[in-house]
Amino acid sequence: MAQIRKSPLTRRLRRQETVSSYLFLLPSLVFFLGFVILPMALCLFTSFFDSNLNATTPDRFIGLQNYAELWKDPVFIKGLKNTLIIVVVSVPVVTAFSLWIASAIYKMKEWMLSAFRCIFYLPVVTGSVAVTVVWKWMYNNYYGVLNYVFKGLGIIETNVNWLGNPSTALWCIIVILLTTSVGQPIVLYVSALSNVDTSLIEAGEVDGTTKFQNFWKIKWPQIMPTTLYIVVITTINSFQCFALIQLLTSGGPNNATQTVMYYIYYTAFKLYRFGYGNAMGIILALFIAALSAVQFYVAKER
Amino acid sequence: MKKLSIVLLILMVMMAAFANGAKEQATPSKSISLWTYPIGGWGDDAKVKALTDAFTAETGIKVEVQYLTYADGDDKVNTAIAAKQAPDLIMEGPERLVANWGAKGYLVDMADLLDAGDRAELNQATLKACLTADGKLYEYPLVMTAHCMAINLDAFKAAGADKYVNLTTRTWTTDDFIKAVDALYKYYKAPVGAVFCGGQGGDQGTRVLVNSLYGGTFTDAAHTKYTWDSPENVKALKQLYEMPGIVYDPAIAGGDEINLFRNGTFKMAFCWNIAQQPLNDQKTDAGEQIVFMSFPAQNGVAQLNGGIWGFGIFDNGDAEKIEWAKQFVKFMCDGPKTADAVKTANYFAVRDVAGGQDISKIWADDATMNEYNVLMQYLGDYYQVTTGWATARTCWWNMLQAVGAGNDIAASVAKFAADANAAAAAGK
Repeated sequence: MAQIRKSPLTRRLRRQETVSSYLFLLPSLVFFLGFVILPMALCLFTSFFDSNLNATTPDRFIGLQNYAELWKDPVFIKGLKNTLIIVVVSVPVVTAFSLWIASAIYKMKEWMLSAFRCIFYLPVVTGSVAVTVVWKWMYNNYYGVLNYVFKGLGIIETNVNWLGNPSTALWCIIVILLTTSVGQPIVLYVSALSNVDTSLIEAGEVDGTTKFQNFWKIKWPQIMPTTLYIVVITTINSFQCFALIQLLTSGGPNNATQTVMYYIYYTAFKLYRFGYGNAMGIILALFIAALSAVQFYVAKER
Repeated sequence: MKKLSIVLLILMVMMAAFANGAKEQATPSKSISLWTYPIGGWGDDAKVKALTDAFTAETGIKVEVQYLTYADGDDKVNTAIAAKQAPDLIMEGPERLVANWGAKGYLVDMADLLDAGDRAELNQATLKACLTADGKLYEYPLVMTAHCMAINLDAFKAAGADKYVNLTTRTWTTDDFIKAVDALYKYYKAPVGAVFCGGQGGDQGTRVLVNSLYGGTFTDAAHTKYTWDSPENVKALKQLYEMPGIVYDPAIAGGDEINLFRNGTFKMAFCWNIAQQPLNDQKTDAGEQIVFMSFPAQNGVAQLNGGIWGFGIFDNGDAEKIEWAKQFVKFMCDGPKTADAVKTANYFAVRDVAGGQDISKIWADDATMNEYNVLMQYLGDYYQVTTGWATARTCWWNMLQAVGAGNDIAASVAKFAADANAAAAAGK
């Protein structure tokens, strides 16, 4: 078979296209390397050192000592457990709740759909500090609206120190996290459900499928990529829960709301143990990567 | 044509950049940066600008000021240190300047600014707190105060608890404190004060409260060891835990406690000092009289925790800027504007004479400051320079949380004090 020879003009055009593509990529690549890859490499590097922000004693290489110490540190273990509780609770709840809301509103009239999208998206675009301050006021032990309402309804007899009680504090944090996490998934699910091929549903209905079968056999597989994205993003966000803890409880009471992310900050910036904090960061990254990989695998299988 | 335009554009940008650089070289400007925590009026740009403008007029050195908060100021400074972008000057207390950044080798030793006259003029306890054991001066002090507590006098009167406080000496005994809290609790049927432990904000209040009730201490006199696991402190923590009028609240820190005191929820605040006193005409939000008090002690005389604030200079490797920064420190702390600098902070001067001028009577016309002077005699040891302070501080409020959660008091105290002492021993 005669080989098609590429003309020099075609080769030059292709090269030019390649070069210009890389040039377009360059700004993003610089930022990606500078603000993602380099810090990751530095994080890994520092985790092998006793690094303590002390100009008089230089950082000392200690190998895997920081990693070994982690598993003997009861606060880290408590933080890891709390982080996993947050992930295990918030990921399914956010996903299911978002899907439920999106299913209920995606067929509505355009203006109503927009209104609902705005309402659910509002906590996402509102600054986390503002949201947290409002919640802190609602949870207040002495004059919070939550105690006022619950006492009025007869649910509680005396004021509950929601954020000061080890048995309620973590759940209070999770509730706030849920309200700020559902906005984006709802918008994504509304979009995904609107794009489901209606002819398949109509065909199914002609064949006598039930509503549940329509959802499970036709809609669910088509919105699976969206679900995967939501699950992965919510998992990562839940693992990285930090602002709420810092602004509301500082990990207390008695480490009841301690999370790995907050403990990293605390260890590095309050105790000046940067090497130890970085080791925790690496472990957290490994947990997130492993869980995300499992989620991708499960979704692929389906 | 398009290529020519691009080349011309690039040339223009380059020429503008060079021109700007040449201009900068032609008129070199002296400038230093100052980062300050909100120490009274030193957090107010208008007041600080008046002082820095006076310095610029005198020396030609411009001062660029950045205002820090206690919530995230340490993080900003630490990040700046790590990025080698630390300011030239910083204003705060010895616990940060001497025990932390100074001890870690980031600050300039300013001992050369102290001559024999300065050493004699400065308050000796203050000077001691600003010097390291080997005589390095990492903080040049400007002002000081005694941290205290406050009571809602009208609420005390309503509950018949005012008989337990001595309003002349502003002191009360431990027994009187217990009786007063009891009377207030019976009258209001709700907690009237809180051992706040949501964070380190205002923690000096809880430290002095616990230490003073039964004569405990926070550290040893040599500042080498944390001693809050003593039987006196354990007894005090137990006493407070058993009082229904006092709650251990891990959901609030010092600032929250002050708000709850001002809005009338609490009838006493353990986080207080003279900077709080004049606000709102010395009244709560409901117009009730606020009175500052010393902390309760068995013999009525508590050892109050001091606050000292002054300037430190970061060693950024620029000898010229260090020299300018030293000029600034001398100008503010021992110069023509010291009285204004002290008044801006709204605390007491650490010396009677500055720059050859008598500044001992700068508050003579201020009734509140004069009244507050009664507490200065109760000023105790400035132990915040003990090694491992950052760790010890966090151990303290975590320990209070553990006690408040109902854990065994002696065991909790022993565990957290051991952690603090481990940090002290490791020099961290």
